This record gives sequence, C-alpha cells and structure tokens, in this order.
Amino acid sequence: MKLELRDVGHVYARGTPFQVEALRGVSLVVEPGEVLAIVGGTGSGKSTLAQHMNLLLVPTSGEVLVDAVDATTLTKSELRRRVGLVFQFPESALFAPTVEEDVAFAPRQLGLDEEEVTERVLESLRALGAEELAARSPFALSGGEKRRVAIAGVLAMGPEVLVLDEPTAGLDPAAREDLLALILGLREAGVSVVLVSHDLDEVAEVADRVCALHEGRVSAVGTAAEVFYADPTRAPATVRVASLLRGASPGIGHPVRFRETLDALRAQQGT
Amino acid sequence: MTTRSLGQFYPVSSPVHALDPRAKIIATAIFVVGLFLIDSTAGLLFVAAALVALVAVSRIPAGTFLRLLRPVLYIVALTVLFQIFFSREGVILFEWGFLEVHSGGLRMGLFLALRILLLVSSAGLLTATTAPVALADGIEDLLSPLKRVRFPAHEVAMMMTIALRFIPTLGEEAEKIQRAQAARGADFSEGGPLRRARSFLPVLIPLTVGAFRRADELADAMESRGYRGGEGRTRYRELRYRMSDAIALALTLLVLLVGIVL
Repeated sequence: MKLELRDVGHVYARGTPFQVEALRGVSLVVEPGEVLAIVGGTGSGKSTLAQHMNLLLVPTSGEVLVDAVDATTLTKSELRRRVGLVFQFPESALFAPTVEEDVAFAPRQLGLDEEEVTERVLESLRALGAEELAARSPFALSGGEKRRVAIAGVLAMGPEVLVLDEPTAGLDPAAREDLLALILGLREAGVSVVLVSHDLDEVAEVADRVCALHEGRVSAVGTAAEVFYADPTRAPATVRVASLLRGASPGIGHPVRFRETLDALRAQQGT
Repeated sequence: MTTRSLGQFYPVSSPVHALDPRAKIIATAIFVVGLFLIDSTAGLLFVAAALVALVAVSRIPAGTFLRLLRPVLYIVALTVLFQIFFSREGVILFEWGFLEVHSGGLRMGLFLALRILLLVSSAGLLTATTAPVALADGIEDLLSPLKRVRFPAHEVAMMMTIALRFIPTLGEEAEKIQRAQAARGADFSEGGPLRRARSFLPVLIPLTVGAFRRADELADAMESRGYRGGEGRTRYRELRYRMSDAIALALTLLVLLVGIVL
C-alpha cells in the first residue's frame, strides 16, 4: 500500500505556554515495498512524524492518505492493523505472563480465531528468531530478546507498512545485524518499512530512500547517496568512501552497502 | 504534555511565592481550622474576599486558579444537592412530588459549598505557590521537633519529594505505554466499565514493572552519590523567616478573627 503525508503539521499543547511546533508542513510518500529511512537530530520531529503514520497523533494541519484515501475515514483498528508502529524502546510495553500471550495480544484484538492467532504468533516469533522464547516470561528476558519479542508483537498484526522508531537503539552489534536482515526480509515479502534512526551507517545499509528532517521540516529526500552526498562531511564513513569512488563506479549508492563499496574500492586498487 | 490540575506548582514570582514555605504551611493550617470556626455567611464571604485578594497578589491567573478547583466541583455539587433536598428547615420555596426545597436547606447548602471551596482553594494556593521541594523542606523542618521521639521527619519529607517528582514522569510513561498498546489495536474507549477497566491492564502492568525498576535505579543513583539519610545533611536552600512571613501570619489570623466575629 502507498502511504502519503500531505503538508502535515503538528503543534503540541497549542495555546498554552508549553506550545511546541514539532512538524511544519511535512510532505512525504512511503512507496509500496520500499525501505524509507527518516533521519534527523534529536528534537527534529522524527518520532512525532512516525506517530502520524497510523494516526496515533492526529495532524493539526494537513492530511494522511492511505492508497489515496483520507486515513481519518478508515476505522482506527483497520488503520492500525495496516500500518504497524513499533515505538522506541517497545519492550517497556510488554505485559503478558508469557511471550506467546504478549505477541498474541494484537492479533486477538483484531478478532481473529485462535488457530489463526497461534499461527501468526509462531510466524512472527520465527521471523525474529525468537520462537524458543515463546513459553518464557517477557520480564525475564535480556534486553535484546525483549526488543525482538516486542517487535514480533506488532508484526503479528500482519501490517502492510511497518514503522520502526529507533529499533536498534541500545542493541549489541549482532542483534542489530539480525534486525537489519529482518527489515530487508520484510521488504522482500512486499512490506514497506519506515525506519526512524539516527545511525546513518545502518540507514545507508538498508534504505532505498532517505528523508532528512530538520526542525520539523523535510530538509532532504532521495536515495541514501543523494541525501548524504549533499553534505559529505556529515555522511557515514561508508558513504564518504563511496562518494570518493563514485567517478570510478557510478553504480554504487542505491543503497550504499558496505560490501559493494568495499568491492568497488578493491577493484579500483586492483587487489 | 501534562494538563495542570489540583496541586500543581505555578512558577511565577510574587510576594506569596516568596514567603517561607513553613509560614505558608502554618498559615494554611490555621486557615483550615479557622474555616470551621466561622458560622456566619457574612464571615465566610469576608474570608472569601480576602482569599480572592490573595490569589490576585499571587499573580496566578484567575482562569488557571479556577481550573485548579474543577476536580472538587462534583463533591461541591453533591453537597449542595444533599442539603437542598434533605434539609427541612425554613419555609418551603419549591415543591415537586415528594421533593421539597426549603429556604434553610438552600442556605445551608450554599454555605457548605463555599466552605469546601475555600478549604480546597487555600490548599491549592499553598501548592500552587510553593515549589514541591520547598514544600517538602518546610514539612521536614516543621516535623523536626518530632525527631526527638524518633519520628523519621527527613525520610518522610524525602519520600514526599520523590513521590511528587515522579508524578509527571509516571504520567508520561503511562501515556507512552497507552499509545504503544493502541498501536497494537488496544481500544480504551469501548465496552462497559468492567471491559474498560480490563483494557487498562496492558497499561498498568508494564507501568508498575517500570516504576519498580525506576525505584531501584533511583536508590542506586542516590547511594552512588553518597546519600545515607538525613543525619548531618546540609541544605542548598536554607529556610529563614523574614518580616514578611510574620506579617503574612498576622494577616491570616486577623482575617480569620474578623470572619469569626462577623
């Protein structure tokens, strides 16, 4: 499905001394089956933007369109099933006695029959390599395991768009690799992924397109290469190397994968 | 963003804010006792006028202050209704079936409503004009004579400070978890009261777990910074009575005495 934000603005606590304008006229399209990364510094509006994608936050101006239909006309439950949102530190919302029941929460809310629920739980736990955790208590898991279970809890709804807010924050390198592999796997399966992150290396690695936010406005949007080459000083190391190699290997940079860049570098050096 | 409600500190600078917290606590206590000694409407109205003046001096906008009172309006309304319908004093003003409204009941209802509003306003004014930390300092200091009989004044004040400090934090956390569960299809607005209460379990459980984790972390953080109770502990802000505190206390007493006499 195609998710479109048109001129979306959001003001927190309007009309009070605490008023904050978090988003100012953001227009953005999430194309079907792509990985779109949203990058930006702290306070740039990334998380606020993410919460507009399933209307957990309602825009104070502008609109959100799902396949060209105004998202406010859809029922909340349908919208939240089609657009899955994984919050930052999602493990803080685990609550059930076992992992299995926690992951089953969302599909049960959808009113699916028990057979289908069980199937979805297993499927999404397997996708995250967490099927052996099913019978354990979510509170007794390690940080990385909790994160995987929490993401499985949203994946179990079978979303068409999955929005991940800082999913790799605080994970060890191995868990991060696994998660990036999951994102690419979902993309293979036709799910669009919106990855909110401030780790530019991981963004360069998996994102088809990058949207950079600055003070609530879109400051750049395009392929990882286009966005990062615009200001090479801020680009992640791989992108910097890739940008230097671009003359010799015009193919690289969509996305900027470490492996491809390394191969291009080797080819140029003739090693 | 949190909405302001009863008991929230309103940070502006005013003569009332500047008073010593101990003076304000004592004045509020005297005021509350005094309210129950006043038995004439004229006296109550006089005290109410004085409180309105005090709110004006405190630079808290009238609208904000009235919003502080909103949570108790139900209790006030209920009190008035009870008095109106169940009191049989004075002449009958209005009759409808078995319901009779008597003049005495109406008068008594309004009198009690005013008294409750004044009670809550005075407490609200105290917490609105006194920072939570100052309030806890004041309470600790006022309770410190009880230390001689082994009353843990410092610990009680510290618990109060921490509890107050964590109200907004827990509020934020609750909101975050609620949104995370809403993203998983939880609906908090459908069904009867029982179903609605049950739908809050997925919020309450992680909130409680998080609160315990936070408490552990806070205890570790305090200990690693050398906290070991109130023994020999000095303060960043020393409390000191000034002339204005004495004047404020004297004025409070004077207003109440006039109210009682009236």
